[in-house]
Amino acid sequence: MSDMQPKPPRHRILSMTLLMLGALVFLFPFYYMVVGALQTKRDPSLSGAIPWPSNLTLNNFLDINGAINLGRSLLNSGIFTGAVVVFTIFFGVLAGYALATLHFRGRGLLFAVVLLLQAVPFQLLMVPLYVLLVRDFGLGDSYVGMILPFAINSVAVLIFRQFFLQVPQEMFDAARIDGAGEFRILWSIAVPLVRPAILTAALVTFIGPWNEFLWPFLITKKQGMQPLAVAVANFTQTGAGFHANPMGSILAGSTVLAVPAVVLFIVFQRHFAETHSSTGVKG
Amino acid sequence: MSAKTSQSRGPGPGRTAAATPAPGRRRRSRLEFALGRHPSGLLLAAPYALFVAAVFVYPIGLGVWMSFHDSFFTAPGVDVPQPFVGLENYATVLSNPAVRASFVHVAEFLVINVPLTLVFSLLLATALNSVIHWRGFMRVSYYVPYVTASVATITVWMFMFNSGGIVNQILGPLAPDPAWLINRFWAMPSIAFYVTWKQLGFFILLFLAALQNVPKELHEAAATDGASRWQAYKAVTLPAVRPATTLVVLLAIITGANLFTEPYLLTGGGGPNGASTTPVFLLYQQGIQQGKPAIASAIGVLLVIGVLIITYASRKLTERE
Amino acid sequence: MKRSIIILIAALATASMLAACGGGGGSSTQASDKQAAKGPITIWYSNNPNEVKWGKQVVAAWNAAHPDEKVTGQEIPAGRSSEEVIGAAITAGNTPDLIYNTAPVAVPQFQKQGGLVDLSTFPDGATYIESRTGDAASQYASVDGHYYQLPWKSNPVMLFYNKAIMRKAGIDPENPPLATYDEFLATARAIVKSKAAKYAIYPSPSSEFYQSWFDFYALYAAESGGKLLVENGAATFADTAGTSVAELWRTIYAEKLAGNEPYTGDAFLDGLTGMVLAGPWAIESYGKTDWGVAPVPTSAGMKPAETYTFADSKNIGMYSSSKNQGTAWEFLKFSTSPEQDGALLETTGQMPLRVDLTKAYPEYFTKNPAYKMFAEQAGRTVDVPNVSSSVEVWQTFRDAWTGAVIFGEGDIPSALSDAAASIDTLVSQQ
Repeated sequence: MSDMQPKPPRHRILSMTLLMLGALVFLFPFYYMVVGALQTKRDPSLSGAIPWPSNLTLNNFLDINGAINLGRSLLNSGIFTGAVVVFTIFFGVLAGYALATLHFRGRGLLFAVVLLLQAVPFQLLMVPLYVLLVRDFGLGDSYVGMILPFAINSVAVLIFRQFFLQVPQEMFDAARIDGAGEFRILWSIAVPLVRPAILTAALVTFIGPWNEFLWPFLITKKQGMQPLAVAVANFTQTGAGFHANPMGSILAGSTVLAVPAVVLFIVFQRHFAETHSSTGVKG
Repeated sequence: MSAKTSQSRGPGPGRTAAATPAPGRRRRSRLEFALGRHPSGLLLAAPYALFVAAVFVYPIGLGVWMSFHDSFFTAPGVDVPQPFVGLENYATVLSNPAVRASFVHVAEFLVINVPLTLVFSLLLATALNSVIHWRGFMRVSYYVPYVTASVATITVWMFMFNSGGIVNQILGPLAPDPAWLINRFWAMPSIAFYVTWKQLGFFILLFLAALQNVPKELHEAAATDGASRWQAYKAVTLPAVRPATTLVVLLAIITGANLFTEPYLLTGGGGPNGASTTPVFLLYQQGIQQGKPAIASAIGVLLVIGVLIITYASRKLTERE
Repeated sequence: MKRSIIILIAALATASMLAACGGGGGSSTQASDKQAAKGPITIWYSNNPNEVKWGKQVVAAWNAAHPDEKVTGQEIPAGRSSEEVIGAAITAGNTPDLIYNTAPVAVPQFQKQGGLVDLSTFPDGATYIESRTGDAASQYASVDGHYYQLPWKSNPVMLFYNKAIMRKAGIDPENPPLATYDEFLATARAIVKSKAAKYAIYPSPSSEFYQSWFDFYALYAAESGGKLLVENGAATFADTAGTSVAELWRTIYAEKLAGNEPYTGDAFLDGLTGMVLAGPWAIESYGKTDWGVAPVPTSAGMKPAETYTFADSKNIGMYSSSKNQGTAWEFLKFSTSPEQDGALLETTGQMPLRVDLTKAYPEYFTKNPAYKMFAEQAGRTVDVPNVSSSVEVWQTFRDAWTGAVIFGEGDIPSALSDAAASIDTLVSQQ
């Protein structure tokens, strides 16, 4: 395993320390959010960053659960995000593979479109998209309507494409010479290879719809259909004023929103380490 | 054993049918010419292409159409003349100093954000890839800002950077007055730092995935050849992750150009006298708040053109091969 | 590569032509038929918990008496994005029959989109509105003199102050001197100097178009004796009244009596500021704070009974997608009847836009003296002018304000007159 030259320990310690420091800096706002969510009374001063036991409570969570049904909203977020991730991985791998390794009519055009789509700001598309989905497709206040504009994440397609580009073409060419059909190649060679990319793409795709506010806000009127990000944002803008610790309740909602995503990352980032050794050209 | 594939976004039909066909394929040459060497690619890419066509082509098309007409959204059945006005909307947009300023702000943002993002995400990904102790904790820490909703992180950031906040308390007399986010000069750079911090996790992820794809044999070969760490890094790792580098730069530019949430939330709608407006923010303000979608579409089209130009230039730079 | 670009552009061009030709067909029912039509309707109201309570009971009351014309109520998020929701819904044609959260600033735009029903076309439309709201109704009429909104409720802006903070600053908490600009500034300085609070007053300094309603407009209404921002097609604020208000605020910001950074949270509740300009909706959330209220200051001081302020009203719109406008109009009248207005007052504490409120609900105001001042103030309010491009008008004003007043750049008279000139152009466009 030691394919690298042995590093001098000082170098190692320095980089570890810097990394650690950086990690703490990165973590600080998240930590502050959690502390704020647990405070009885908002403390905007510096000492408010420390969780004094006398000022801790779970009331903010109960508070916001009373105003917006956290469970139901989480479920909606889950459905929305889950569907997007599934569609994206399934169709995105196909598209990314095709764009990277296959030559077909329209390949360049499609790639240009993928990029273009990324470059167009969503705010421009918002109202026509709303009219299209609500008036012409009749999808207002429905999960399908929420999911549709996000169904296949273009960044994931780009990730898959880039990933397949890094894979040596010889593998596919060899299989072709052996007479394997394209779908066979895709299934038995490409897909097993692409697992680390699937992980990356899944995590990246997850964040979008999970935190998305604008579109679900537009397309749903029923409170029971709104994902958590929308419910928290609505609460922030209107209902917060009447509660004991409005900022605390808002932060509590934000924490509930952030925790599943963080947990997901914690669980899946372990796989990054394990797949480290599984790629590579054999022989 | 070269791992490189040519990455040209080549035109549709692959190498022409005039190349020597493999045995048994001669009779397919016309079909091949029409559909490319691997027509199955069409099938594989079709669902995605259909999705794009069904969901996005209409809105984008409408946007482009609106930018050339004096139009606005009306209730169904309401007939309002929407005359063709040629480039008038574009002229209005370009002659508006606020719009020009917003493009400058985006340029300011990109100049800070893209290099920082590229350097730090690659550095951190490399470091996180080789670290052994505390690996999980560190990786998650760097992802956490990316994963948390902007609304929450912005509250904290504003708290940290306001005139009495931690950052100013540490800086003491060096602290700018007025404070960062309401300072004409520092507003946009503050946003750039915030966004860099927030998005870094995403780009680290991209690089991590790419780094783990670099075949170990290459590292071993370099080590056997007696290369130093830095030489090995330069000669093996950097070229191997070039597709990821291109992607990272591309996405950073596109995300930066489309900046909206941060100016909207962090500087409460454009900052002191509009010092941190961005084109998409103005697009939202004028298109949605003020009901002028034709103008908004003109801004949008100009923005897309600008982004495409920049990304084209950056590809030329990063794919120097 | 080049080929792809050409194909792409061609595709876009085709798509845009198709998009332009497409579009839903409208119904060709006569307006008068729709007006007579009766049947079930839907309404939207804001998600403010008290308004929801009121909304549910008014719907239940109607449904009990009219089983064939059932009303379904739904909450929509009220907040800075609610206008977008309504605007998008208008375009898609899925607005409800009535929305009890129509902001007057958005009415010109909704009207332009063809989304609102002209209430004056109902035989008793204009008379009903004018008899309920009195003279104040005229500022809610559109440029053509017709009513496209029914003035529903207002939240007259007054000056709240924290008695505990006043006490700490050495000012009489029952009668703090706040009538003239000089008195106001002196009180403000005392608050900050004694460190009773970090700021004397803390309106939001951010650049959204509606923020000026709570710092400039409330004081301008008072100072000018009830002028709107735009009257008779011309901006009014570049006059002495507007300039004095702007100069006062500039002084306040220059002496750091108000914060110039956005604050996430309620500054008054958090004890960060001694005073706040707000309407009666805030009473419930300020409950625990020991507060007092005074009319907004004017430069020379005015009797409270003569001081104007900003109305901050929310109105009811009937939307053109409505098929059963007959029922909608009847329900509209039902929900704004004296009984229902009283219920609104009791449940939310907000002021129905009805003439002589204190005379109409004497028991309520005897029981809740805190709200009496607001009810009396409600008779002297000024709202956003009903002019075209009204959102852009306010944004233009706000941009000038943040530069000249909050950050003290340039001089005020020219900032105001430049803004006035731009606004004059904006309102003259169709």
